[in-house]
Parts: sequence; structure tokens; C-alpha cells
Amino acid sequence: MAGMTTTTTTTTTAPRSGAAAARKKRMIGLGIESTAHTFSCAIMEKTGYDRGRILSDVRHIYRPDDGEGIHPREASRHHVEYAPEVLAQCLAESKTSVADIDLISYAAGPGLGPCLRVGAVVARSLASFHGIPIYPVNHAIGHIELGKLLTGAKNPLVLLVSGGHTMLLAFLDRQWRVFGETLDITLGQLLDQFGRALGLASPCGRIIEEMAQQQSNDRQPGATPAGRGNGTGESYGGGVDGVDDGSSGGKSTKRTVRHRQQQQLVPPRYVPLPYTVKGNDVSFSGLLSAAKSAAKSDKYSACFSLQETAFAMIGEAVERALSFTGKRELMVVGGVAANKRLSAMLSEVCRRHSCRFFVVPLKYAGDCGSQICWTGLLESNVKSGAAMSDTFVTQSWRLDTVRVEY
Amino acid sequence: MKLVKKGAEADIYRGSWNGKSAIIKVRKPKGYRVPQLDARIRRQRTSRESQMLSHARSLGVTTPLVYLVDTEKSAIIMQDVPGAVVQSLPDDDIVGLSARMGRMVGILHRSGIMHGDLTTSNFVYDGKQDALYMIDFGLSQNTCKPEDHAVDMRLIKEILNSAHARIMAESWKKLLQGYARAVGYERRAKIVRLVSVIEGRGRYATVV
Repeated sequence: MAGMTTTTTTTTTAPRSGAAAARKKRMIGLGIESTAHTFSCAIMEKTGYDRGRILSDVRHIYRPDDGEGIHPREASRHHVEYAPEVLAQCLAESKTSVADIDLISYAAGPGLGPCLRVGAVVARSLASFHGIPIYPVNHAIGHIELGKLLTGAKNPLVLLVSGGHTMLLAFLDRQWRVFGETLDITLGQLLDQFGRALGLASPCGRIIEEMAQQQSNDRQPGATPAGRGNGTGESYGGGVDGVDDGSSGGKSTKRTVRHRQQQQLVPPRYVPLPYTVKGNDVSFSGLLSAAKSAAKSDKYSACFSLQETAFAMIGEAVERALSFTGKRELMVVGGVAANKRLSAMLSEVCRRHSCRFFVVPLKYAGDCGSQICWTGLLESNVKSGAAMSDTFVTQSWRLDTVRVEY
Repeated sequence: MKLVKKGAEADIYRGSWNGKSAIIKVRKPKGYRVPQLDARIRRQRTSRESQMLSHARSLGVTTPLVYLVDTEKSAIIMQDVPGAVVQSLPDDDIVGLSARMGRMVGILHRSGIMHGDLTTSNFVYDGKQDALYMIDFGLSQNTCKPEDHAVDMRLIKEILNSAHARIMAESWKKLLQGYARAVGYERRAKIVRLVSVIEGRGRYATVV
């Protein structure tokens, strides 16, 4: 690892030599993610043009109170508080020192302003103090690029489902093009806002998934944990990114398990809920309101029906996009990719269309530093680092506006 | 009966009906959906599609003739229209057909019908007869709401922008010209405005 820092002095032949050299050598990158509830740093190694390996990926996730969503200011305070610890642990785990790092990338958007700024400040400080090139990266592109690296998908139709996105994308002419998306809230927000209305701890995706499999007894109204949030407040829906984390909402999970034991068991039944597919696009807001009212009589059936309806909508949108684009691969990335019922449905869709199915590994479905790090490393193939004055953050930065040059 | 295409929603077969070549569109049950939901979707779309195909035709929008509808099996037997889907045509031809597509959409909207799935793969062009057909009415609705009509227009705009990015600007302009011929300039302006409102609602859209 120590040898790496010395290679920076090689080849200076062509004008774009920096990029050309980058392609050949082994690069070590640091990626910083702080778009929503997760503060994460990761160190990765890139060899050749696009072969990479994660050396370490450390996260600390901000947890709002049960039944409440992300408060941007509180989340950013959390990030400020844990940034040094996460960074130090990330360096230690990868047995790397700052001197070994060839480039730093950070998530410049889309996300919550106060949170984004924390990551940007950490990245800028390190970069300017140590003279390391800096790369602002689009968070959503990061989900896709890391997914491609980890699954080996070559030319997939991408389903990006998280707290911030619900989009179907395909790559054409140097840009990711949108072939369908949500017209209102995202799948992650749908699950989180519904869960919060039940008083669950955010992120709610995993608990809803468990409850949907459980059995219900609607004659026990006491089974509903007291709801505090109304679910309509700020909702980056962050939640669902990070459903993989074991510590999520332990309290509520225990509570539901205990109730299940007390109850007389009846399987969850399907309650008809609004199913809104408009061409390749979907809309979840009507479904959310209807599911919330259904939950008043039987929350287990409501969880079950919500998942079945929402995922069937996604399934149909995916089928439409697959048949329109003729892609032979489907890759699912983003926090909700961790949901097993969604994966099961989509793999059946893929079987029907004789299409290969890839899901990003559970651990890297949610927001993480690796996605940022890897995108920065790829960009270094064709670009040198950004000028300090261009190291912006942008809350609204659509991924279909990003030119992909590598 | 030969399978022609496994579409998103339905399987398309080619067979014959009373000696004529026919298309059989079957919405088969989908295992990944809960049965109640699956049944509801298949029944609703089959009946809607068959009604709208005929209704649109009576308004002067060329669509395949419906021969028989089987709501039990969610199958529609219809005319086998010759030609190729517009999506697969060369860029120049798509631009050339845009005004006509726009006009057909305008006629539907003027009569209170939203197509619901306006993509370039839902227009079939027969070069020999110079005939343009509109197909796939499974998501159509009876609605006069400008907002719904704007959803239609936004979808085709999104498709032009993603699948036909190189000709997007020209094709969209022509499409709107044709649209205005059916609905008038005032209505067109209103719908175009609503399209940008919907786009602005999109996630992380640039708010102007």
C-alpha cells in the first residue's frame, strides 16, 4: 500500500495524462456519503479501468424517534458528531492512512441540504489539507455503479428503489435515461410514511415486511402500537435505505412478536387498495391514504395488502420497461432492494421475460460510502478532480442530467 | 396459434378468425400478483380495451377491429394490422409521423378519452397503405380532465426523451402541431403548461 503514493509521478506524455495514468495504476479512493440518515465512509481500491474492491465501509445511521421521520437538522448534527469516528474506523479497518488515498469523493446530491453539507465539508477539509483530488458525485448514479460492480450486470434495465428514488433507467448515449418513475412519492416513502402512521420506528421497510408475513387478529385493537407521527411531515423516507441494519427498530419488532404470541392466529387477508399505473409510471399517494385507513381495522392485513399492491405496480412497470427497451438484464438497487417479497416478484417477472435478474447484495443496498467512492474512482478514469470552488452540493440533482463520460 | 410477442401485460398470438388473419391478445394470470388483484386488473383492462378500440375507431382514430372478447379468459381477438411499431422505425420516419400521432391523440382527448399508455410502441405504421394505427388501450379512461390529458402527453414526451433522444425536440414539436389541429391552440397551450407542472412535481426536478 505504501508503494502507491509514489506512482503519481509516472507518465506525463499526453494532455490527458492524468486520466491515462489513472487507468493503469492501482488507485485508492475514499468516499463520503451523507445524503440523508446515513453517514458513511468507505475505502476502495481500483485496479485497471473498472475492477474494484471494497477495503472498508463504515456507517453510522441517524435514528429518529419511533413514529417520526428524519429531521434534517437533527440528522446533520448526528453526522457532525459521528463523522470523525466513522472516518477513523474506516481508515483503521482498511489499514490505510490518509497519505495512501489518491482521491476523495463525496455525495453532492440529491439529498437533504444540511446533511449533504456535512459530507462536503469533511471531503473539502481532507482534500485541501492533504492536497488530494476531490470529486463531487451523484448519489443515485452511485447506487447504480456500485450495483453494477457487485452484481456483474453489463447492460441492465435498472430499478432504483429507495427513500429518495423510484425509477426505471436504461443507459443510452452517455446518459441514464428514465423509462418510468413515480409521479409522486417514492416506494421508500410509501413504506416509511405508512409505517410511521402505525407508530413504527423509521426505517420501517423491514418491520412492514415482517408484519406482512405475520398472522393477524383484528379483534385486538390494542395490538397497534401507539402512533405518534402522522406521517405527513418531512419524509425523505430515508428510512428504507438501510433496512439491512440489524439494530433498526428493535423495540417495535419485539412488541409485534409478543402480540403475535398472544393472539389467535388468522392469516392476513388481501384488502383491495388503489392500483395506479400510468403508462410506465406509478403513483403511490392514493395507495398510501387507503392503506392507512385499512390499517385501522387490521394492520397486518394492511401491511400485506400494501406490499402486494405496491410491488405488483412496480412489477408491471418493470415488465413494461423490459418489453419496451428489450433489455436482457434487470438490476435492482437502492434500500428497498433489500425486501425479499419485492425480489421474489421481480425474479418471477424476469423469468417470464427470460431476462437475467440481479439484486445488489443486502449489505450494500442501503446508502453507503462505497457507492460514492466507486463512482469517484470511475470518474477519475476520464476526469481530474474538481476545483475547490466547484465542490458544490445540490439538493435537487436528477441523475438523468448527469453525463457519464467513463 | 403462434406466439408473436410476450408483451408487458399480455401474450400476443397470431391465428385466424373466420378465415382472416387475427391477433389474439391474452392477459394471462400473473403468479406474482395476489389472485384477487390479478383478476381485477385482467378483467378491467380487457373490457376497457375492447370498448375503447371500437369507440376510438368510431371517432376516426384507426384502430384494429375487434372480432371477439372473452372476459372469462381475458382475451381479445382482433384484426391483424400489417406494419411495424413506430418505435422500431428510422428516426426520420418517426419525425415524419409525429404530427399524425399528435392529431390522433388530440382526437381522443377532444372526445374525452385518455389513452393511458402513449408510447411509440403503441402506434403501428403500415407503409404500404400509409396507415397509422393506435393500439393497446388497456390503460385508457374516459376523462375530460386537462390534468389526465397532460399525463398522456407527458408520457410520450418522456419516451421521446429517453428512447428517441436524438430526435426528441423535432418530434415533440411536430407532435404538438398535430395535437393542436385536433384540440385547438388554446387547449394545446393549457396542456403544455400542465405537462411542465407535472414534470416539476417529479423527484428532484429543476424548479424553474
